[in-house]
Amino acid sequence: MVPLLNRSSTSPVSSTTRRLLDGLLTAWAAVSLTFFALRLSAGDPVAALLSNGLTTSQQAEQLRHRLGYDLPLLQQYVHYLGRLARGDLGVSLYSGQPVTELIGSALPSTLRLAGSSLLIAFPLGAVLGGVAGWGSRPVLRRLAGTLASLATSLPVAATGVIGLLFMGRLGGADSLAPQPGLWLPATVLGWAAAGPFARAVQAGLQSTRRSPFILAARARGLRQNGRLLWHAVRPTLPAIASLLAVEVAFLFAGTVVIETVFSRPGLGRILVRSILQGDFPIAQALVGMSALFYLATQVVADSLARSADPRLRGPA
Amino acid sequence: MRLARLWLGIVVALALVAPLLTQNSPRDPVASALAPPGPGLPLGADALGRDFLARMLFGTRLSLGLASLAAVIAIGAGGAAGFAGALFGSTADRVWLWTTNVLLSIPSLLLAMLLIAAWGPGIPAVVAAVGVGGAPVFSRVTRAVVSQLVGAGYVAAAQAAGADRLWTSLRHVLPNALPQLAPLAGTQFGWAFLGITTLTFLGLAGDPAVPEWGAMLNAGRVALVSAPRLVLTPALAISLTILSVHALSRPSETDDSNR
Repeated sequence: MVPLLNRSSTSPVSSTTRRLLDGLLTAWAAVSLTFFALRLSAGDPVAALLSNGLTTSQQAEQLRHRLGYDLPLLQQYVHYLGRLARGDLGVSLYSGQPVTELIGSALPSTLRLAGSSLLIAFPLGAVLGGVAGWGSRPVLRRLAGTLASLATSLPVAATGVIGLLFMGRLGGADSLAPQPGLWLPATVLGWAAAGPFARAVQAGLQSTRRSPFILAARARGLRQNGRLLWHAVRPTLPAIASLLAVEVAFLFAGTVVIETVFSRPGLGRILVRSILQGDFPIAQALVGMSALFYLATQVVADSLARSADPRLRGPA
Repeated sequence: MRLARLWLGIVVALALVAPLLTQNSPRDPVASALAPPGPGLPLGADALGRDFLARMLFGTRLSLGLASLAAVIAIGAGGAAGFAGALFGSTADRVWLWTTNVLLSIPSLLLAMLLIAAWGPGIPAVVAAVGVGGAPVFSRVTRAVVSQLVGAGYVAAAQAAGADRLWTSLRHVLPNALPQLAPLAGTQFGWAFLGITTLTFLGLAGDPAVPEWGAMLNAGRVALVSAPRLVLTPALAISLTILSVHALSRPSETDDSNR
């Protein structure tokens, strides 16, 4: 993450604090962006309900007043921030259900999908990247490399639907019903997520393999595998740590698509539905939360990269 | 590589001549639902009785055209922002840095979805959203390239000769920046294509009848087992296109012969 605040290195504020402040500032800006993007472009959220014929204009007026949409925009913004600080994410325009409840009930399913995908992605990516970058036979290396490239490029929508096709015995409308079982969606998503990871590992290993210190280690008698691999892997760790953030971003998009393909309950489907219905509080809350989580991941990945490679620490 | 060029060539050619290749409209039913391939219907009919081949053909136009449009938006907006940040002083640079940081803190698909939420579902919203979603990354690269060029002395030399900033940037920096940025246009197109097909797959294009490959992939799910061609064809088309674009925009991987 490129730092925003540009203090000199002689400032008493430590670089970690500076980075945290950076992160908080960006987080606040991102959340505000979600607020203003929706309010400024779409105007009155209740108008969408009116145009869908779901409420009379009198009820709409009452709803508007109750939700505070008749106040000046800046005042709404201040209220929004205040409620956010209290953990209140608003209510759904359609069901009136508190957004936190809605998110809470769908979160476990999404976490299960994302978590199991990651569990598949990291070992798979490590193996593919390891074989592609360090394997002993060119055929194996090419195969692993191709699999990794395919995994990165193929859109999850396509692989997901094809996976469903080959596994499904259901036809007709049943294909659109919730599919039981976690392993297929998790495998599809996991393989796709493994792609970027495998390529990073492959690139890292390929570059360190030719470096002088590896040559020196081999000259000292270290065999090709095992400990030599460990020495080769260490300089690639910062790049892999940064990749953590990329994976998280990828998974955000991936879970939305996979949940739609497999009709799984979860935050992804709720987000899509809220956009189609114009249910702004939900869309706002979900995108805002994702931004916060993604930022947090970037900060963590940054720290991991720094601790793995002292060369990155720079002026403390 | 050659396969990539071949495939893309075919797709572009089909996009250009699509209306000449079929008499059926991609939107009007011409046969019974899910009619199998036969005379007059090389790919059969989809779930609503529309000529599937016609839809695929017109889909080349939509998918490629919309993706190109979105990519142009991303490159235009991102490029301009990157240029401004690198050339117009440290204040502009700080503003640019701050804005891109904030925009990049939201995963790009979600940013696009946020914009669609703001503008309402529909094809123009999808194109604009994907375009805006791709702009921050491109602006980062543009700024890096331009900063490097600025450091190479063109700007200082021209300004020493009395040129003003805008003229310098157009006359000197732009021609030198373009060769470095051109390959990235391919990546942008690939990203835009993926974004457009994914968002239409999710149904955010607002028009279920639109003959666009992503939307068709979604529509085909209803007949997944009874007529798998409705799903396999768009899936294959989308995948091949993205793979080809990626293959062509990546520098060829070096052979690891140094063992």
